[in-house]
Amino acid sequence: MSTRRTPRGRRWGGLLGLAGVIIAVGYPLPFQWSGVIYFQTVGFLVLLYSALGIAWNIIGGWCGQFDFGPMVFFGTGAYAMGAAVKFLGFNPWAGFAAAMLFTVAFSALVTFPITRLRDHYFAIATNAIWLIALPIATNWDLIGGSQGLFIPLGRPEGLLAQLASLQPNGRIKELAFYYLVLAYFALVLLIAGRLEHTKLGYCFKAIRDDEEGAQSLGIHTRVYKVIARCFTAGIYAVGGAIFGMWALSVFPDQVFDINWGIVPTIAVVLGGIGRLWGPVVGCLILVPLSQLISTYLGTGPLAGRGIDLVVYGLLIMIVAAARPQGLLSLPWRRWLGGDPTARAASPAEPP
Amino acid sequence: MQLAQAVLSGIQIGLIYALVAVGLTIIWGLMGMINFAHGELMMWGMFAAWSLAYFLKLDPIVTLVPIGLAAYLVGAAIYRLLMARVQRGEIFTQIFATFGLLLFMQNLANAAFTSDYHFLSNTFLATLFGGRLRVGQMVFGAPQLAGGVIALICFLLLYLLIERTEMGLALRATSEDPEAAALMGINATRMYTLAWGIGAALAAVSGVIVANFFAIFPQVGLPFTLLAYATVALGGFGSIPGTLLAAVLVGVIETVTALFLPPAFKDAFVFASYLFLGLFRPQGLFGRF
Repeated sequence: MSTRRTPRGRRWGGLLGLAGVIIAVGYPLPFQWSGVIYFQTVGFLVLLYSALGIAWNIIGGWCGQFDFGPMVFFGTGAYAMGAAVKFLGFNPWAGFAAAMLFTVAFSALVTFPITRLRDHYFAIATNAIWLIALPIATNWDLIGGSQGLFIPLGRPEGLLAQLASLQPNGRIKELAFYYLVLAYFALVLLIAGRLEHTKLGYCFKAIRDDEEGAQSLGIHTRVYKVIARCFTAGIYAVGGAIFGMWALSVFPDQVFDINWGIVPTIAVVLGGIGRLWGPVVGCLILVPLSQLISTYLGTGPLAGRGIDLVVYGLLIMIVAAARPQGLLSLPWRRWLGGDPTARAASPAEPP
Repeated sequence: MQLAQAVLSGIQIGLIYALVAVGLTIIWGLMGMINFAHGELMMWGMFAAWSLAYFLKLDPIVTLVPIGLAAYLVGAAIYRLLMARVQRGEIFTQIFATFGLLLFMQNLANAAFTSDYHFLSNTFLATLFGGRLRVGQMVFGAPQLAGGVIALICFLLLYLLIERTEMGLALRATSEDPEAAALMGINATRMYTLAWGIGAALAAVSGVIVANFFAIFPQVGLPFTLLAYATVALGGFGSIPGTLLAAVLVGVIETVTALFLPPAFKDAFVFASYLFLGLFRPQGLFGRF
């Protein structure tokens, strides 16, 4: 996406951004007031998946590496958080740093050897790491095995104490976690937005566009691939840690679930791969849609028969066939009247 | 003795895996397209065999070929209606689209058959030689053995098709350079349709065979898909003998590992072997690139 904008386009962008911030911050308040916390959880999931999508975009969209196993870092982060809080007595806020550092180190360790592999071979290797980690977590008694790891309940009194130990409970739990994940999402967006236009970001894209070329320019492609995947891993780890604190437990099947890899990936593709806002657009559509469909079609006479997922799958296929380049590749700016040059450039394309 | 038995049953299982994986060799290994719903095609093959056996009392050995032919049409339709359009985008869009296909096929089966386990009993293959074949002190599962033989036949036919016929040459040409192939008068769309048709047919046929000795349920596909992907990569892209050898290796690794470790680790050990091999041969056992 070109960053050059006409003044009119910039005004649109500014308005859109402001509206986005107001909506994101104000979204859970009416539900808090009316007591329908279900929608706060939907918001929580949209933001969490969006942040993971932005993270996956770094290795997948910018660096061009087929990462099929980012969910291993979600689980690692959740387990690192759980273990730090339960066994080492960490405060959860320090637990985030511990989870991130541990997972980034883990990612560097397992990613470097497989950066020799190209394309599909790399994809299977990332997938393999996940499939090895899953049975280890399920059978490792120290971290609870298949019985899961439970984060000890503090039951702190008072709002400040609850926030300090990251265990808000009662009516404010969903609200507090919504804002926590909003802050996490905003931070991830900021970091990724900055990263894209640094030397590091350009190196990632150079590797995607022409690996041999990048190498001949003196870019250590293997090292940069590891760095890119460590960014992805670090963000995933914090996501997993937040999820662990939210659920107050870490179950191997839950935190290593394939959906932590699939949903962000398909959100990236739906929005437009390599675009910063792609996963956000994708998640804003996918997550509420799947919730809505499962609410309306998952109940009634055919409940539990997966009719909702049939429709969901069908919709995914229709979108993929109709616009394989992603939704953000559509000429939105021209439709909104923001960029007159775009209109002049492609008069033939029907709106 | 125990080890020898484990290796032998590993080879048997490996031949079945080979059959599941070979469909993927065509679509993914040869044509470079991603199909996450491969296991779902296999699962529908299983349910098709079960339905025909349950409602029409037809033995799977009879319905094998008709189901394969029907699956060919399904695969061709998937390419024409979905993947041909999806191909215009990035390769990742194929993950997106076939994941939608996976959800669609899996839950359609769930809606039609529920997620209960279904079993085929007293099929021709299951009752062959009274179900067990005893050679010396070793025991073979007769249906698995027969399935392995059918797998080998499929492999031989496919190998001849890809390596020895004009059509196979056109397929390989399209996979290597679609534009140059098009200039030589090869219709790329037709070649991709053909590859998807054959891939789907092989997936369904493997499902029909596996149904003789495996529980049939809508979620059965994904573990087979993941294992098949690792098998194809282990064998090397686009190599049919490579897939066969890799699949047998996978089967043997699984059964031998099961002697020493809890069963949950048998697949983990397969994937670990893939990673280990990748350190020395990043292009797989028989890969050309």
